[in-house]
Amino acid sequence: MKNEEFYIGWIGSAPDSFAAFIKKYILLLLLIVIVLGVLLSLSQKKFGTGNFEFGTLTQVKGIYFNKPVPNIKVINGKDIWGNANYITVPLIGFGKHGADGTIADIEKEKNISLNGKEVTLKGTLLYNDGKLLMQVDANDQPLVNAASATISADLLPKQKDLGVLDVKGEIVDPKCFFGVMKPGEGKPHKDCAIRCILGGIPPLLKVTDNERKQNYYLIVGPNGEKLNEAVQDFVATPVVLHAKAVKYDDWIVLYVNADNGIQHYSSIKDHYGSLYASCAADCLK
Amino acid sequence: MSASYAAVGWNRQKKIYDWLIFGFCILYLTTFISFTAIFNPEYTFETVLIRSASTLAVLMLHVILSIGPLSRINKKFLPLLYNRRHLGVTMFCIILVHSVFSIMQFHSLSNVNPFVSLFTSNTHFGSLADFPFQALGFFALIIFFLMAITSHDFWLHNLSPKVWKTLHMFVYLAYFLVVMHVMLGVIQYETNPAFIVIIVVGAVTLITLHLIAGTREVRKDNIVYKLNQDGFVMVCDVNDIIEDRAKVFCIDEERIAVFKTQGKLFAVNNVCKHQNGPIGEGKIVDGCITCPWHGYQYLPNNGQSPPPFKEKVCTYDVKLQDTKVWLNPKPYSEGTERPGAVIEM
Repeated sequence: MKNEEFYIGWIGSAPDSFAAFIKKYILLLLLIVIVLGVLLSLSQKKFGTGNFEFGTLTQVKGIYFNKPVPNIKVINGKDIWGNANYITVPLIGFGKHGADGTIADIEKEKNISLNGKEVTLKGTLLYNDGKLLMQVDANDQPLVNAASATISADLLPKQKDLGVLDVKGEIVDPKCFFGVMKPGEGKPHKDCAIRCILGGIPPLLKVTDNERKQNYYLIVGPNGEKLNEAVQDFVATPVVLHAKAVKYDDWIVLYVNADNGIQHYSSIKDHYGSLYASCAADCLK
Repeated sequence: MSASYAAVGWNRQKKIYDWLIFGFCILYLTTFISFTAIFNPEYTFETVLIRSASTLAVLMLHVILSIGPLSRINKKFLPLLYNRRHLGVTMFCIILVHSVFSIMQFHSLSNVNPFVSLFTSNTHFGSLADFPFQALGFFALIIFFLMAITSHDFWLHNLSPKVWKTLHMFVYLAYFLVVMHVMLGVIQYETNPAFIVIIVVGAVTLITLHLIAGTREVRKDNIVYKLNQDGFVMVCDVNDIIEDRAKVFCIDEERIAVFKTQGKLFAVNNVCKHQNGPIGEGKIVDGCITCPWHGYQYLPNNGQSPPPFKEKVCTYDVKLQDTKVWLNPKPYSEGTERPGAVIEM
């Protein structure tokens, strides 16, 4: 550097040697910016395929049940064996809230009980992986129609006791997981899932089997009561649930005792532990 | 350098600098968002905005933190230092986008205030795997906010350079919080090693640059000047100092710059009153010592900024015996006129 070359910011232009050097650095930064932009965008996990029909209201006709979680059972014709085709649509509320409050307000306002009655509800659909849910928001006047009589017994949810199971998975909130947020699971989404569940959205156990196929279990207390607050410390982390499982139509419900039915486990330890165990077994052979 | 406060004292180089910041930010955001849209078509815009803003902010933070040591190692990086505060404020704005959208997405529309939710939803402060990483990001945001709003000479003068500099040194705490925010957050979700590799490479680069720059400073500061005479210390030969430049000597933990100009030697305190810049690495321009960081100027004979400016630095006695330069480390009060030492030809 020549002695006369001295950089002063408030002078119109930098000395030639400074300008030439900085240009090279800027070119390097340009390269870093492009490479990092491409690399980081391509390194993200794949976004889920869930869908939230934000801004679109859909009318759904079905039978409302308030247990095990608020839902409507939508019947659509019969299959080739003459059995009713149906899908159970759990209901959730606006924002990070359950649907219970909205339904309770409607029942109070109309002075009726909706449980076991055919209703037409208006709300926003969200769906993924074969599961359909509906957001009901009081601002949308969700109750379009409600029958006065309760439905016949053959339309009640078909229940099947699956026994007591130990199920490993992650507790998520179904609203975000099935469509509102991407990702709606894992550590980055943990706080949101906790808020949704504390707000009344029923907790859901997401279980991934060895073939990467996912199964979903609704979680309630031993007597069907809400377990939302009790699972706060177990959301978005690997857990194992010891629970009685009951199949309700197309959903499985886990009846969990919060005192001893939920435990953390280390998925890493679990994975590598079994890997080391099998490796050791191979070596011994 | 200005005698009154303006929102921004625009000049050509600041404009070029800011256009480059703007261009780079747009380029990064466009690249990240468009590649995500093409190769990950199920994306949601709010998530891709949160992620593009956060990764851009982390990249900018690394650039900002590297400018200091790079400028110490090679003076050709000084043009980057000149307008670094605009880079910092831009980074804060990007972080704000990330933070506001994250708080809206993860904490709003719930049964508690979003800020209460931030600290009460996940309370596993004792667990690494479950640690509430968003709280770390929040505290980093507070530091960046304080730095951004005080990133102006008005605050520099009113808080005093020492307080201002101390406040802005909290950027290193903020960097640590950001790294932990990433490591305890998204790194635990993403499976691609690129994220952790980039964070580690960034941290190692920054630590290495700071160590190199710091080691050089410490080596200079540790030079012991043994010859002592009537309070004067022999520091160098007059021919070691280039005309209109200075050499810096650290005596009694005080850095003193001895300038040579127009047949005389003058000694002033090495710390610029603006942002503690190293005056001794500056140059005499138009008869004034000019700080290499932001061009603040001082008269060599009295350490005062030329009118109407009011900055002053301490001055010292310097004398010549034959060709040997002797320096008295006892400071005169800021702005005190000293005769300097005449260099006999």
